[in-house]
Formats: sequence, C-alpha cells, structure tokens
Amino acid sequence: MIGRYRALRRAGLLGINERNLRLVNELNPRRLIRLVDDKRETKRLAMAAGIPTPELYGVIANPFHMRHLESYLDKPDGVVIKPANGSQGNGIQVLMEPMRGGWRRSNGQRAMLEDIRFHVNNILSGMYSLSGQPDVAMFEYRVKFDEIFNPISFGGVPDIRIIVVRGIPAVAMVRLPTAESDGKANLHKGGVGVGLDLVTGKTLSGMQNGKTTDIHPDTANPLKNFSVPHWDAMLEMAAKAYDVTGLGYLGADIVLDKGKGPLLLELNARPGLAIQIANRIGIRPLLNATLEADTEGMDALARVELARKLYRQNVPEVV
Amino acid sequence: MPKAAAKKTTVNSFTHTRLLALLLTVIGLSIFATKVVRYDYPLSPGARTTTWDFEIYLDFDTNNQPVRLETFIPSNSESRRVSQEQFYNGAFGLRLDTKSAEGRTAIWTYRYPNDRKVLRYRARLVGETESTPLPEGMHRKLQRAAPETENDLERQAFLVWSTDLRRRSADDESLADLVLQEIFVDEDVDEVEALLSPTLPSSISRLALARDVLTAQGIPARVANGIYLDQARRRAEIHHWLEYYADGADHRYFPGLDPEEFFTIWHGTDDFIRAEGISDLDLQVSIEPVNAAVADVAQRVARDEGSAMQWFGFNRLPITTQLVYQVIVTIPVGILMLVFLRQFIGLQTLGTFMPVLIGIAFRETALLNGIILFTALIALGLAVRFYLERLKLLLVPRLATVVVFIVICMAVVAQLMSNTGQRIGLSISLFPMVILTMTIERMSIVWEEYSATDAIKQGLGSLLVASAAYLVMTNPTVEYFMFNFPELLLVIMAICLLMGKYTGLRLSELIRFRELDTRK
Repeated sequence: MIGRYRALRRAGLLGINERNLRLVNELNPRRLIRLVDDKRETKRLAMAAGIPTPELYGVIANPFHMRHLESYLDKPDGVVIKPANGSQGNGIQVLMEPMRGGWRRSNGQRAMLEDIRFHVNNILSGMYSLSGQPDVAMFEYRVKFDEIFNPISFGGVPDIRIIVVRGIPAVAMVRLPTAESDGKANLHKGGVGVGLDLVTGKTLSGMQNGKTTDIHPDTANPLKNFSVPHWDAMLEMAAKAYDVTGLGYLGADIVLDKGKGPLLLELNARPGLAIQIANRIGIRPLLNATLEADTEGMDALARVELARKLYRQNVPEVV
Repeated sequence: MPKAAAKKTTVNSFTHTRLLALLLTVIGLSIFATKVVRYDYPLSPGARTTTWDFEIYLDFDTNNQPVRLETFIPSNSESRRVSQEQFYNGAFGLRLDTKSAEGRTAIWTYRYPNDRKVLRYRARLVGETESTPLPEGMHRKLQRAAPETENDLERQAFLVWSTDLRRRSADDESLADLVLQEIFVDEDVDEVEALLSPTLPSSISRLALARDVLTAQGIPARVANGIYLDQARRRAEIHHWLEYYADGADHRYFPGLDPEEFFTIWHGTDDFIRAEGISDLDLQVSIEPVNAAVADVAQRVARDEGSAMQWFGFNRLPITTQLVYQVIVTIPVGILMLVFLRQFIGLQTLGTFMPVLIGIAFRETALLNGIILFTALIALGLAVRFYLERLKLLLVPRLATVVVFIVICMAVVAQLMSNTGQRIGLSISLFPMVILTMTIERMSIVWEEYSATDAIKQGLGSLLVASAAYLVMTNPTVEYFMFNFPELLLVIMAICLLMGKYTGLRLSELIRFRELDTRK
C-alpha cells in the first residue's frame, strides 16, 4: 500500500483532497460557483461572450408553466430536458423524435406525455438538484452530433471535456457513450473516456469504469488517432469560459454539432479526476506549472498558446 | 525585524491552521494536565465501585381482586443517600410510608386488575461497609428489661439463660460475643433451640433471638436486611444480619461470610414483600455497579469549589442534564472518526453526517437490534418508495407517505416486541424516522441514477460507519474521558483542523488510480 502510494505520488497523481483544497477552494469563490451551477446563467454568460451554446427552447419553472410543455416538446428533431441545477448528468432526458403518441428516447424506449410530465415534476421539486432545492426544467436543442466519432461511440452524444486552470486549458478528454451508459457520456455511468493530446487534439488511449482500454467496448474499434475537428476553436471557447465566469478551476463540456460546430454544453466548477486515467498521466506537475505561469494581460488566444507550451513541457509526447 | 513580520499581512493558510491547531491542543491539554496532576482526577473509570444501580422488579398474576402490595425500599439516612429514584407503577396507585422505624415502604394498590402485572422501583445508591456508622438512635444504652413472650415458661427459660450468659461475661462486648457464639456457632444449645420463634424462617429467627437477648441486657440491637454488593447481579439474594452497639462501638454480625460492601434495605423481621390478592409472584432484586470514578470526580469538584477547574466539567449541572451531555460530548468523537474515514480512507456514505446520526439512534436500540431494525426498515421503505414511483407523485407528498409508512412499521415492531416480552419495543420509539426516510430517499436516487450496486454499497458504507460511530461513542473509556475532560473537545477540533489541510491521496484512490501505478 505504501509502495503504491509512493508510486502514484511519483506519477504526479492529483487526489480529491488536494483538488478540493488547492483548486476548488482556492480558485473558485462560492459566489462564482453559483454561475455554473445554474445552467441558464451559464448559457446567458456564454452567449454574451460569443461562445455558441445549444438553443434554449423554453423553461418550466413552476407547475403553472406546465401548460407550455407540449409546445416545448413539439420539435421534429427532438429535444433535451435537463434540470438547470443538476449535477453529474443526473435528470437529463433526451427525446429523439415524436413517435406514436409519445417520443422516442435516446435509448429507444417510448416516453409518453405523462412520463415526461412526471419527470419535469421531479425536476421542479428538486430531486436532481444539488441540495434538493426546488429547480427549473430546461428544454434545449438536441445536438446532432458529428459523425467523426461514429466508429467509437454507441447511441448518444460524445462530448469533449477540457479542464481549464486560471484560463489556461490543461488537460482534455473526449467522453464516448456506450451501451452500458445508456447513451450518456458520463464516465461514472459506464461511458468511455479517451485522453486527448492538448496540442494536436488527437485521441490517445482510453478508459472505462476505471480501467484502461484501447478499444471501444461496443464497436471494438481502436480509440487512438482520431483528430477532433475544430480543436483550436474548442480550446479558445474553454479559455474564454474563464473570462466570463472568473472560475480558476473549471471543466468545459463541449459537443460537436454536425451543422453548428462546437457548442458549449455546460461548465463544471468541480470537474473530476478520472481524466487522469483517460490520459494515463498524473496532472500535478502540469498543474503546478499552470498555477505558477504568468498570465498578466493575456487574452484567451494567448493563453491557448501558453497552454500548448506548458503541455509539451510537462507531458511526455505519446508516439 | 518586527516590521518585516508585520508587513507580511497574509499568513500562509497552512501555517495559520497549524498555529491554531497547536494553540487549541495546548489549551486543551494543559487544562487536562492540570486536572490530572493537580487535582488527581482519575484517568480511568475505576474498578473500585461504591455506587450501584438498584432495582426491584415485581412480576405477578392478578385475578380481578383488589391488590395491595407492600415492599420495603431503601431509605435515606445520615450516612447515605438514595438518588435518582424511579417508580414504574403502570396503572397502580402508589403511596410511600416513611413513618415506620423499620424502613420506608412503598404501597401499591389497584382495585380490579387482571392479567400479569409488572411493578418496578429503581434507585442509585452508595454501598455501606463495616465502618459505616450506625444511626445516632442506636447509640443509647437501654434499660434492661425482660422481653414479652407468649408464655411464662418461655419467659422463664429466657431469663435463666440470659442471666447465665451475663454472669459468664465481663462487659457488654464480651456478652454480645458470647450470645452470638451460642446462637450461631455452638450447635445444639438446648436453650437456644427452645427459644427460637417457630413462625420465622430459621435464619431470621436466630437473629431475632440474638436481638431479643441483647436488648434485654440493655444493648441496642436490631436485625438488618439487605443485599451484599459484590458484582452485577440480576437476582441478588436478600441477606440478614445483626447490628448492635456495645461499649461505645458499632458492631455488625453477618451469619456466614462477611461482605465487603452491603446495603441495608430495611430493619426488623417483617417480610420484604407483603401482598394481598396476587399469585405467582416473581421477585427480582438486581444490582449493577456504576462507574465509580465519576463519583470520585464529583467529590473532587465539590472539594475544589471555587477553583477554576469546576468550570471545565459538567458536574455542577443537574443529573438529568448531565446525562444528556454525557451523550452529546461523545458525538464529536464519532464525527472525528467519520472525517477520518471520509478524508483518509475515502469511504462513501449517504449524506455527510447521516451515519453519525444513525449511530446515535443505535444508542437506543443497542447495536444488533439497531442494525436489524435499520436494514429492515430501509428495505421496506425502499420497496414502498419504488412502488410509489409508479403512481408518479410529487416529491414532498411522496416523502411524507414514506414517513407515515415508517411510523406504521415502527408501531408494528413495538407491538410485536411487547407481545413477545422483549424490552426493545420501548426504546425504539425514538429511533429517528426522519433520518430513515431521508436515507431511503437518497438511496433510491443513487439506485436510479447510478446502479443498485452503488446504492447498496453506499448503504452498507453508511451502516458500517454508523456501527463504528456507535461503538466509539458508547465506549466507556471514551464516554468517561469526554464527560470528565470536556477540554479534550479542543484537541478534537485541532485534529479536525489539521485533517482539513490533508492534500495526500485517499486509500480508495490508491485503488481507483491503480492503472497509473507505473511500477512494473
């Protein structure tokens, strides 16, 4: 055990305790965290800064608004219902398209209006919000994801997570849905996380359920060497997210839409640490360098440049 | 130089925390040390016990006849106090008779009872030893007088025998020794056998005879009845002995082995229990030693009245309040353990302090019962919760439904327990059902959003932490230290502060990130 502890420390592994103390507590003041906990607020800030996000169709904030439900659902391309204060992807329901008196969900099941109303009620009563506070249900554009990841994803929307420290993108991964994760890209539900080379945007090896893997469990295709399109734009979006929120440690979740390009889905003020397994690196040395870097007077683009430099210096290149 | 130090306005938060923790530890430990070194507070719950919990338990059949049940109960005297008395009367009327010289009597009455009934009396008392003085009333020389007996023949025999004993002795003390020798040690002394009262049980009749002889010779004497305090007993035996005052000294004579400690319940030759209208009486007199060091501490505090140390303890509070604080001050120890398990081990639980709350609830049910009850109620609650899921209710009314269901379950459990004669039915009534409901709700969300394994894992984790917290919080040493040395709370606070700055890996992370272990 002690040997393992030393080995992991030597590998530069960042633990939850240290993340909470040095990153979340130090860099993310509580009053700012509120901005990203509420997804409506995030969306508003992002739009003001010119960061593209999925279109918001409507909001149900109380049972009185429930009469709008059917009009919000009336989209031939489908709709995504999510709690504004949800965490870890809880409470998100994806409706693909209308289907015989109901809607087809992303997992193929049919959801009736009554089911959806119940789900929205659960959201309103705070079932998925962080502290059980009453919440708001959001209805959003359903992303038609780019086919680039088709060989390595299964039924759902892959998304790209970029961790940004003091406005400098530090590490990134792409999260792929699997059969096990029910079309969601969340790693704790069984999604696959694939590390990304921050400089090139190319996929490295991956992980699922805490174990490293080199192929997608459903399609059996190798995960390596996919190039994420619009990579520069994504890095810039992530760096800009720091400017609009002021959060020194954040995870930007970006999806790639077929027509609209990269869209910012949400921001996370306490991004998790599994990204280290996906990238097969401990991120402490890189973080220390990022924390010490001088960013005085730099704009988002300049910080992206700095990020690439720091990444190359601190992370061994995978051939 | 001091200027340079003053310039540095923001002290590094690590240093700050360490200094604060050091300060708290120093304050806490120095109060602790002062108590131990200067005031000799005992460091362990002592083995020598002089305080005992005493209980009389009466269990009997009634038959629709008026019942009158009298029993002697311990009374206060100059040398001792009976505290924390409690009567469990049920539907019976209770009257206390304190006038009798033989002792205090509790009289329970009820006109038309039926079925089996239980009556209880509880008290806390301090044991007596050979050196405990007899009351002032005994320290008075009596007039020599012949006893009243039923016939002249007996009276004559008594007089002849006692005069003979008197002649053979030098003073009161040797006379008493001689009397006891003839009655209890020498076998077949004809006079003794003839004079023993036929109506009393033999052990008491000999004592009664000795008393009669001594009082006839002007020596104050009485028969005492009580229990020997040696160890915790569920059924303590009632013993009888003789107390007398001869030549300016108190004496006690115990037939059989001398007890180290004992307790007098009543005097005279009356029966312990006198009852009318009942049958099949089961009498249990139980004793249990109480942590003596606590009593020692109380005495010390009383002695140190006016010193600062009395402020760092709870002994000045009323007993009932003390009992509450005895529980409260152990909670931080449970929480300390919880923090350790979460920050260093990385155990996952439902809710932050929920396990400690459950652990506190276990106090009322004891561990095994608590775990069984907890698991059963959670399982039932989850089943109802999942059933309600189909009805598609709003959150708060659904929670309320689960609460009501839990209350019903607990009522049923209490009924079952009382039918089978178990006692825990009484104690679970305060098992916090809101905590249970919240646990059920959290667990069901984890169940839905993650998986059944996650939910069960977290449930088990919570149960594990709750059991550990319970064991720590009810540990006698922990209770003793926290209650008598509450300044240690400062040390616990200091440890919490230091743990709040731990940036190392958790034990669970060693497993989670095992793939990054590059040693091959």
